[in-house]
Amino acid sequence: MKSIKDHLMFILPLMAILLGIEFYLVFDRTTDSYEKGLKEGYSMLVVTKKPMEYSAFSALNDHISASQKIKREEIVSEVIKGVSENNSKKILDALPYFYNLSLDAYLHTSALEEIKKDLEANVNVKRVETFGSSYSSAYRLFSFIKFTLKLFIIFMAVVSLFLIIKQMEIWKYAHRERMQVMEIFGAPLMLRSGILFKVAFIDAIFATIFVSGMFYYVKFYWAAQSGIDMMIENQADLFRLNDIGILFGSAMLIVIISVYSVVFSSKGVEE
Amino acid sequence: MSNVIRASNLTLAYENGDKEIIKDANFSIKKGEFVFITGPSGSGKSTLLKSLYGQLKPSEGSLVVGGFDLANIRQKKLQELRTHMGIIFQDYKLVNEWTVSKNVVLPLMIAGYSTEVQETQARRLLSHVKLTGIADKYPLELSGGEQQRVGVARALAKNPVVILADEPTGNLDDYSSNVIWDLMESACQQLDTTVLVVTHKIPTIFSLPYRHFIIESKGVYEVH
Repeated sequence: MKSIKDHLMFILPLMAILLGIEFYLVFDRTTDSYEKGLKEGYSMLVVTKKPMEYSAFSALNDHISASQKIKREEIVSEVIKGVSENNSKKILDALPYFYNLSLDAYLHTSALEEIKKDLEANVNVKRVETFGSSYSSAYRLFSFIKFTLKLFIIFMAVVSLFLIIKQMEIWKYAHRERMQVMEIFGAPLMLRSGILFKVAFIDAIFATIFVSGMFYYVKFYWAAQSGIDMMIENQADLFRLNDIGILFGSAMLIVIISVYSVVFSSKGVEE
Repeated sequence: MSNVIRASNLTLAYENGDKEIIKDANFSIKKGEFVFITGPSGSGKSTLLKSLYGQLKPSEGSLVVGGFDLANIRQKKLQELRTHMGIIFQDYKLVNEWTVSKNVVLPLMIAGYSTEVQETQARRLLSHVKLTGIADKYPLELSGGEQQRVGVARALAKNPVVILADEPTGNLDDYSSNVIWDLMESACQQLDTTVLVVTHKIPTIFSLPYRHFIIESKGVYEVH
């Protein structure tokens, strides 16, 4: 019973760290598509005196990834109803040219202002509308969620790592006799800490299986029935096969850090 | 014959040099010699032994064992030195979770010998200490005398240059004690191993010519 408790004392904090890592991976992947949507849904409106090609816009700023000309007929279609063909042609000729500009990344509002300045520096550009306020609020909310999640994961990881090291110290104490005997007979550090590595590796495998199992369940059973659009749309991103490798690699790294931090903190054979 | 152990003005102390146990000791021990170190309780016999396997660094002077200067030895070199030593303890220091066989071959395991060699050597060593048929038992299933014989077998496993024994018969009856002395005597004679024994009382059964040091008032003196 005590042995199970000891293993749980190692597995649970390790699972907390692995859950944090997997949450971050999933969040990053799902919000990546959301970020992409925000980026694609966003465009600047530029009014020019003369027609301009995409190459002319991109020469003004590297972030401009596409330009789309807005048909002037569509803009004035309501206005020219009932107007003679000759007059409607005059109205169209008097109109400037309108373009929607797309960007290559989800940028901060200060970067948007930079682009606006670059565009306005061109004599052919009459006006630039960035729609900065609506863009900014969505961006800030998004950044805040990302930041708080990262902060929480880091905090949880630090606390869990301390618990893991504490448990490792308990194991070291439990196996101190054999480690002492091995040291007296000249065993190198790796060999005499072998027992700690062995116990921790087995628990790391269990922790990886448990966390992978939880996300596997979320992906294939829970997400589909959750009714949450974002979950259903991004079901493929919720858990990937190579995540098992990332989780196992992270678990091994934590094991190595915790074993060495405990072994190196000892002063050698104590009789 | 070359010196296996040489102490020059050796001072040993605990607690950052505040508590001196041995002071200005000078002695040397040659290859193949059998040496007893005696002295009253608390005189520093075990402390001296600890310093010989690198557990306690000299505070002053020098202590050279097997060509390694223990005053300035690095961890890697200390590990190497210890693989050429056989150490026997009064409380046996066997790993209770391991079988007798695994305990015996510990020095071979550390040296990286194959499992086949380890198994063969375990059988040979256990037969040498007259403990056949107990290879798969655990130390706590054995008597004190048997456990100490396992300890001796472990010490002999890699044909050590030096055997250090700390009160090897302190917990044993006369019969078991005599068996242990016989084993160490034969190791000294047949393998030309230097044997250094710390003990309260020198056994009377000894047939070997031996040297005898006594520790008194922090000094190490040879008894003639």
